[in-house]
Amino acid sequence: MAIGRRDFLKSTATSLGGFAYLSASLTRPPDAPDKFEGTRVLGRTGIRLPIVSMGVMNTDNPQLVRAALEAGYVFLDTAQGYQRGTNEAMLGEILKDRPRDSFVIATKASLPKDQTTGGYGPDATEEAYTKKIDTSLKSLRLDYVDIYHHHGTWTRHATLHEPILSALQKAKKAGKIRWIGVSTHRNEPEVIDAATDSKIYDVVLPAYNFRQQHAAEIQKAIARAAAAGLGVVGMKSMGGNRGGAYASTQIDARACIKWVLQDPNVHTVICGFTTFDQMALDMTILKDLTLSAAERDQLRTASVDAGLYCQGCGGCTGQCAQGLPIPDLMRAHMYLYGYRNLVAAQDLVLSLALPRDVCGDCVACPVACANGWNLKNRVRDVVRLRDVPASFVA
Amino acid sequence: MKTRAWLRLALLGLMLWASPSLAAGAQPFAFPPVDGWTLAGQPQVFAPDTLYDYINGGSDLYLKYDFQELTVVEYRKDAMSVSAEVYRHRTPDHAFGIYSQERVPSAEFLAIGAQGYYENAVCNFIQRGYYVKLSGENTGAEDRAILLGFARRISETLPGPSALPEILSAFPAEGKKANAEKFIAKDFLGYGFLHAGFTADYDRSGRRYQLFAIVGDDAADTRAMLQQYLKQIKHEAPMAEGAYQVTDAYHGAMALFWKGRHIWGTIGLSDAELRAAYLKHFEGIATR
Repeated sequence: MAIGRRDFLKSTATSLGGFAYLSASLTRPPDAPDKFEGTRVLGRTGIRLPIVSMGVMNTDNPQLVRAALEAGYVFLDTAQGYQRGTNEAMLGEILKDRPRDSFVIATKASLPKDQTTGGYGPDATEEAYTKKIDTSLKSLRLDYVDIYHHHGTWTRHATLHEPILSALQKAKKAGKIRWIGVSTHRNEPEVIDAATDSKIYDVVLPAYNFRQQHAAEIQKAIARAAAAGLGVVGMKSMGGNRGGAYASTQIDARACIKWVLQDPNVHTVICGFTTFDQMALDMTILKDLTLSAAERDQLRTASVDAGLYCQGCGGCTGQCAQGLPIPDLMRAHMYLYGYRNLVAAQDLVLSLALPRDVCGDCVACPVACANGWNLKNRVRDVVRLRDVPASFVA
Repeated sequence: MKTRAWLRLALLGLMLWASPSLAAGAQPFAFPPVDGWTLAGQPQVFAPDTLYDYINGGSDLYLKYDFQELTVVEYRKDAMSVSAEVYRHRTPDHAFGIYSQERVPSAEFLAIGAQGYYENAVCNFIQRGYYVKLSGENTGAEDRAILLGFARRISETLPGPSALPEILSAFPAEGKKANAEKFIAKDFLGYGFLHAGFTADYDRSGRRYQLFAIVGDDAADTRAMLQQYLKQIKHEAPMAEGAYQVTDAYHGAMALFWKGRHIWGTIGLSDAELRAAYLKHFEGIATR
């Protein structure tokens, strides 16, 4: 039943020739010149990885994982929560027959958090988290995992939750995990900064994509993390459905992945492919990271279509009869509807010293937006935040 | 502080409620009262474009299973709490599909809805197009009884009756692992052109393999899928209903049987005699 490497390569529509070096490259010293395109060193871990990796969460197809490993994917990302542990178990079945130094694996777990504050309660103990780590090792049938992520935090406080950090540090010392990571899907800059400041985390795994209106802030936080020696793994490169009701454009996955990898501080991106063709196509990024003109157009169109990102072109400046700061208001709109951050949105709106009668007597809005947005409606929606008592959102 | 937190949550809920995608949908699930328990705040409702806000990256898999809407609430009684999540999917098969992805075969299975199970402060079940997930906190030794009580109460509120997909009963019983069948909604076998399929896991005398059934929209749809598949694996044979012995570079030797809307097959079964026996079984199913 085992599928030979030769068979695999023959069967793949896209030629994967030239990627055989990837597994061997794992042992290359981190300070060696990066003579091969397509690999980067994961910060102070020293692990050299292909810039595309496999996020296993969306598949329960073991043959896809096996084929990915045969094709040159090295780094697998899973989590204890994916399919209630069965994703880890599937990987355990696959990996038990492979040399331990032929792959790098990350998994992650969290403990229940208050969904409103993002903070942990008294039940989030070191013992509880240690059990999580042990459960992962058992499911994966491994003596150790390369990276164990504290999963899905979105506040500094939770990122630095002492019992969890203590559990992770003890597991590292005991050889159950090699490196400590943290994953974050929102408020990423705060989490990345906390991880950097902690001197405990070795790797960060943030959502990072072209659709995020705060991508520039994430980029800066990532740069600080990388400068401090942390490894940076990108995820959610396609941005999912984060555009909400405003988003409709489908976009080529490779364009999204390449966009993330234009940031040299991102060392690899986990790709959630579910077909053999997607797997092979994502691999082609190793040969050429360049964003084609068509891909750039796609990204530009999709980011505008996402409808929440003010490009800051300045085209609207000076057009409003009341002199409203339209780009600032659009940023507040993005805070509010893009990532549901009421506090940031209200703070920004209140800081703008807007006139009481926003839009005044204007019947038709004279401001033309380069994105074609209905600015009057957006302004109307967001300035209502002034009337929400601060005690509701603070 | 707590009040403000809930007001903030309520305001956020109001915003989500007002989103166009949600306004276009059906009424969210109305949680029933449960004796002795109070609802801690208003239910939160999530649509396909906001599910990420609740379960982050986990939303991808739910969207693959045509997730329509999630309603979440927390019940409280003294220090105990029960979180109740009701996911609505487009069809009962899709609800079964996501349930089957998360189902733990070693759990204690229950006759609630089409099927449910209890394990470690968690009770999940499916009923028609709904996937219900309950989890208890500080529920102590009574955890099982409490969660089963909630499950029954919510089940009474959902449309019924409900049963597991009928096609599962066509998989032969010998060697079949209990409660391990799955419905894969997309990219079946790792091929984008194959639509959805059902699988069942087998373990016979140490031989572990799967049987599957792909169900097309109609015979023409299934024929087109098979045609593309045979082209993909470079299997040259005239297209006709019946048995195929093929080799797939990723899955190895496989037996297939096509009839009408269905393609039945084996995965990971190297024993040629057993593959041939299953082909006869598939033929029997198909010609019933």
